[in-house]
Amino acid sequence: MDTLPFLKGFELTDIVAWRGKQSVDCRRFLGDVARLAERMPDRAHVFNLCDNRYRFLVGFAAALVRGQVNLLPPSQAPQLLQNIARRYSDVYALVDNDNRPADIDVLRYPENSKPELTSPPVPCFSSAQVAAVTFTSGSTGEPKANVKTWVSLVTGADMARTRFLSALPSRAAIVGTVPPQHMYGLETTILLPMQAGLAVHDGRPFYPEDVRIALEQVPAPRILITTPLHIRACVTERTALPEVEFMVSATAPLSHDLAQQAEDMFSTRVLEIYGCTEAGSIASRRTIEGEWWRTYDGMSLYHQNNRCFVQGPQLSEAVELGDLIQLRNACEFSLHGRTTDLINIAGKRASLNDLNHKLNEIEGVRDGVFFMPDEIPGKVTRLMAFVVAPTLTVQEILGELRQYIDSAFLPRPLYRVDSLPRTETGKLPRAQLRHLAARLETSGDKAESA
Amino acid sequence: MSKVSTLEDEVAQLIVETLNLEIDPSEIEPEAPLFREGLGLDSIDALELALALSKRYGFQLRSDDKNNRQIFSSLRALSNHVEANRVKNS
Repeated sequence: MDTLPFLKGFELTDIVAWRGKQSVDCRRFLGDVARLAERMPDRAHVFNLCDNRYRFLVGFAAALVRGQVNLLPPSQAPQLLQNIARRYSDVYALVDNDNRPADIDVLRYPENSKPELTSPPVPCFSSAQVAAVTFTSGSTGEPKANVKTWVSLVTGADMARTRFLSALPSRAAIVGTVPPQHMYGLETTILLPMQAGLAVHDGRPFYPEDVRIALEQVPAPRILITTPLHIRACVTERTALPEVEFMVSATAPLSHDLAQQAEDMFSTRVLEIYGCTEAGSIASRRTIEGEWWRTYDGMSLYHQNNRCFVQGPQLSEAVELGDLIQLRNACEFSLHGRTTDLINIAGKRASLNDLNHKLNEIEGVRDGVFFMPDEIPGKVTRLMAFVVAPTLTVQEILGELRQYIDSAFLPRPLYRVDSLPRTETGKLPRAQLRHLAARLETSGDKAESA
Repeated sequence: MSKVSTLEDEVAQLIVETLNLEIDPSEIEPEAPLFREGLGLDSIDALELALALSKRYGFQLRSDDKNNRQIFSSLRALSNHVEANRVKNS
């Protein structure tokens, strides 16, 4: 059976990671992986919840060494973890922070103070081994599992390397502001560097000043893996970033103007990746060059019955895309908004049906609906909600919702109303909701929403 | 004492304006948590707020600051942090 190595392009003395300013070479990394693998309990599934990117990386590799599947939840919300854990009864959690998911066994990441002098060989894994399961919100209320085999992840990393790294003069260092548990972060800050001989910084800088410091801790050439939110923050602050070879943005659309400002201010190139959790990265573009995206080599898109699908060598079957897409040819396309059920707030994705379902399950809610207002460029658009619940206060409804949904989707504002403008067939046309929103906003009736 | 409460009012106003919250600044409880419970803010808000604080008061937030959780724990804590770190008078 064919196997594929965890690392490609590394000598034992090459740098795999930067822990702050401190380098970790390949020998040390392999020792850390082997030692953690020995400590892992004999289970089939592990929630890899490590915040620190190096610990996540070691945990990810160690799980594979033990034949365990990395479960990667979109957040660490307790209800979400328990919901997933019900389906993987033997799951335990690898953690490096103080979060203690209730009712789930925990292995705290053991920092290894004494590196070993000899190092184990680079581990290789069977192509078909399930390396990770990522989760997306389904429309039924249950998180949907997306299974990633080792070969699919390696193939994705190879395509990204071909696209982004062929022109790089030497081994680069990657700094990422996105979590490794997210498919975009996993592909770009874990798999790409390990499969392309690059080093990765262990932090997850958040504020502009954090980004600057993390970038300064690694040598050039530097690559920044980030989002439109962070790029906008750094541009707004005019952060004095060190030289960055290129930035990659994903999770939400990046405007042409912002990309141009960032390119000018930081003397860099701003590239964007388009993808989804189910298929991983699909295509890229340099934002300032226009609206057309080019698929990774080997991937292609097609329409069928007004739905758009992507296919590629790493996908066992075609994956439907949640965006309205115009094809110039099978490998070039432009984006024209989301199909209606799926929404995206700062890179977090949810199904409106699912959110509505959860809202209406709250005891005391007679009727309720979420509404995504029209987007205003440059601002994060938030959901609002209209709820018929005579016996509940707004705070009570929000308190219930908070237990089940990510805070990014909490309605802002939440309006209590007497009834929803349903049509005779029970539908809620978007135009009606937009009208209702406008009326409530201008009425200035803050008592209802606060 | 009155100076502290003035700054608190100012920061409350900044929070409500920056994040488009549908409440009056005076409704923010000085000791109540800003994130998750309480106002229910999240990391997107934290970034927005950091930009607004930097613009108004001229200092940068850092997430490796050991007190980061403490800084955002309440309006009062945030106001105290602004007081201690501001390099601009608005």
